[in-house]
Amino acid sequence: MNHIDASEHYDESAFTGQTPSLLTIIIDTNPRAWAALNDTLPISKAIANILVFVNAHLAFGNDNQVAVLAAHTNRAVWLYPKSPNPDSVAGPDSQDVEMTGVDGRPSHPELGTSANKYPQFAQIETSILTSLRSLIDNTTTFDLKPTTLISGALTIALSYIHKTSLAFEPSKTSKDPANPTTAPSATLAAPTLHARILVLSVSDSEPAQYIPTMNAVFAASHARIHLDTISLHGMPTFLQQAAFITGGTFLSAASNPRGLLSFLMFGFLADAEARRSLITPTQDSVDFRAACFCHRNVVDTGFVCSICLSIFCEVPENAECLTCGTKLALGSYGAKPAVIPRKKKKKKRINGINGREETGSATGTPVPA
Amino acid sequence: MADSDGEYHAGDASDDEFSGAPGSQLETRSRSRADGPKKSGRKGGRAAWEDIQRSWDAVVEGADGTLAGTIEGLAEAEKRARLLKDTTPLQRGIIRHLVLVLDMSFAMTEKDLLPSRHELSMAYASEFVREYFEQNPISQLAVIGMRDGVAVRISDMSGNPTEHLEKIQEWVKQEPQGSPSLQNALEIHTPTHGTREVVIVYGALMSSDPGDIHDTIQSLIKDRIRVSIVGLAAQVAICEELCSKTNGGDNSSYSIALHEQHFRDLLLAVTTPPVTRTQEQSNASLLMMGFPSRTLAAGDSINYCACHNRPTREGYGCTRCGSRVCRLPAECPGCGLTLILSTHLARSYHHLFPLRNWVEVPWSEARRSKACCSCLAPFPDVPGGAKGKGKGKGKGKEKPDRLPLKGLSESGRYACEVCRSHFCIDCDLFAHEVLHNCPGCQSDTRGAQQNGDINGAMEIDP
Repeated sequence: MNHIDASEHYDESAFTGQTPSLLTIIIDTNPRAWAALNDTLPISKAIANILVFVNAHLAFGNDNQVAVLAAHTNRAVWLYPKSPNPDSVAGPDSQDVEMTGVDGRPSHPELGTSANKYPQFAQIETSILTSLRSLIDNTTTFDLKPTTLISGALTIALSYIHKTSLAFEPSKTSKDPANPTTAPSATLAAPTLHARILVLSVSDSEPAQYIPTMNAVFAASHARIHLDTISLHGMPTFLQQAAFITGGTFLSAASNPRGLLSFLMFGFLADAEARRSLITPTQDSVDFRAACFCHRNVVDTGFVCSICLSIFCEVPENAECLTCGTKLALGSYGAKPAVIPRKKKKKKRINGINGREETGSATGTPVPA
Repeated sequence: MADSDGEYHAGDASDDEFSGAPGSQLETRSRSRADGPKKSGRKGGRAAWEDIQRSWDAVVEGADGTLAGTIEGLAEAEKRARLLKDTTPLQRGIIRHLVLVLDMSFAMTEKDLLPSRHELSMAYASEFVREYFEQNPISQLAVIGMRDGVAVRISDMSGNPTEHLEKIQEWVKQEPQGSPSLQNALEIHTPTHGTREVVIVYGALMSSDPGDIHDTIQSLIKDRIRVSIVGLAAQVAICEELCSKTNGGDNSSYSIALHEQHFRDLLLAVTTPPVTRTQEQSNASLLMMGFPSRTLAAGDSINYCACHNRPTREGYGCTRCGSRVCRLPAECPGCGLTLILSTHLARSYHHLFPLRNWVEVPWSEARRSKACCSCLAPFPDVPGGAKGKGKGKGKGKEKPDRLPLKGLSESGRYACEVCRSHFCIDCDLFAHEVLHNCPGCQSDTRGAQQNGDINGAMEIDP
């Protein structure tokens, strides 16, 4: 048909414009950390900054989407879009009644008042504020832990992104030649949705979450989702590694939390496509220490089981791997430094007969590898 | 030819195993097939191609006249084979450096392997990359192509599977052309530490080399680089020599693919970590490793790295002696400590704590949720309003002819048994295949016990 009616001139592929971009923001809502930050940047101000950033992202393209999660001390909660599920903690039976009560209320109470606001902005703002309010109200003193459930928030965010990208994906056809058994190569096709995750972190990484966090990070890198982090307080080691693995940006705003909005706007507003033509802030140093499996210590030198690659901070009891149960032989841990004998050799040669030429080569002149 | 015969018998073994599969109604089939190999065994010296196997002969209709049973049995057998493979303890903690060399010469346009040698080898190369990094999480890989008489770099030595997959994908559409050159491909150097291997997929029966390939072989032996070749056409003398000389006289690393599946098996067999030649290394042992952090030289200064004596700005400081190494994984040139990125290890951790399978949720319990716990996709409403149990069952009886397939949830919900959250099927697949985390367990620790081992993980080795 296209050939006959010349409609190829209107081939849509040339005009599709930009790919929709989904920004998922994870806000670390650890009460202790925010209390510590209260003098410089109260959480209300931070949320206001984030809302400006969210609006800027949405204004970039008609198809752009946003999702906001809160990573609390012991749970991860949707702020926008809202979860229609009842909160399951107070027991499933009583909750159903409450649920209807919540539903009975008008869902956007303040929407009508802001006639001058773009409805979508207002809707997101209302949703975030009400969810956050209820989250804070439900927090008891028992919940006040110094760490945050980042892994859970990442997991949920990735599932959401996965589902959203499925909706954008063209119908799946087996493109893989001759081999239906291979994993679908859909991820290799041109992406129909640019997704990225931005974590606003205020607390340290919890070593107990090392494995789930890393699982999430590799899932993100598999789906080519950038994991950006802006840290206002504390040292989120795992998130730093996450940014390195997924090609995201890690910025520390700890020196000047008040400039949050500037950090967000200049460091994180560009989506995956735009970043290709920009020079993004780089990390000059990355902390690659890992958490051991036995005591959840963060270590820089550890013992690794050669079978399952579990990390231990010390030789486990009976030299048996705690994870796979294999009896492990203890190797000689490179106890002899290779440096000392070489030094002696060098001295000998210096003192030796033909001094200069020989020493030059004996010290190990660079040999192209 | 000895190779091919060996493979043929290996195929028999898998058939026998298959016949032992529980619940397979194919005993007649397996018996009739078991006879065949014996005959050929008696005749002994026959070459592989003389034993004509017609795949359609092997398929036997089930009692109801369909092939469903056979196909199911095959799938089951394949799964079982994979399961068996997985239990053998592998030494994953070694650093391999492997160069995958793909033939992209005119010979690859042949269509004797469907759809064509080129497309098939590209598809398998992608699979190879994935499998390789699963099996060898701290290893490195490079991919090289042979076309137009030269070696082209497809992807450089790195430990990132996605990078390789993307680069390979770029070459799939390129028509293979020109002559292959073994020598040029082999001359591309690999790093100087760890075990070094070259795997070649070779479709051509010739090689156009600029010099004497025997010199190259000598230098490979000197550098202790092992070469293995998967041939697609026929045995080539130089390939055999190359393999046997670089493997200490053992020519088992040279094999010819008989058909598509065999090609795949041969190629993927290389991903299993190789046998190390020293006794000490082959035992399970506790290795001391360092996880150095990446640092930049202060200010405008440039440091020399201890491993190559090259000037670099960024580097990793050994955690024990402080020597600067320019890239990981490596062995510290100062104190001999193995230095790796912890993230390389972390890539394989989901094998250690697999996610427990989620269960189907009947209508009677579906009321607890309105939408998927993780992606917020709405679930179908519980039929018959809020009064759950009886009506839900009634509904199930109303349409018994469309009884759900085994493993498919009637309410569209799947529940994690640990946190009892409900998920949709997409999230179920995503969580088990890619993410390896349970969103429900991860996002709510209020109910969970204080130890860190939630995540709906299975108990390992009770």
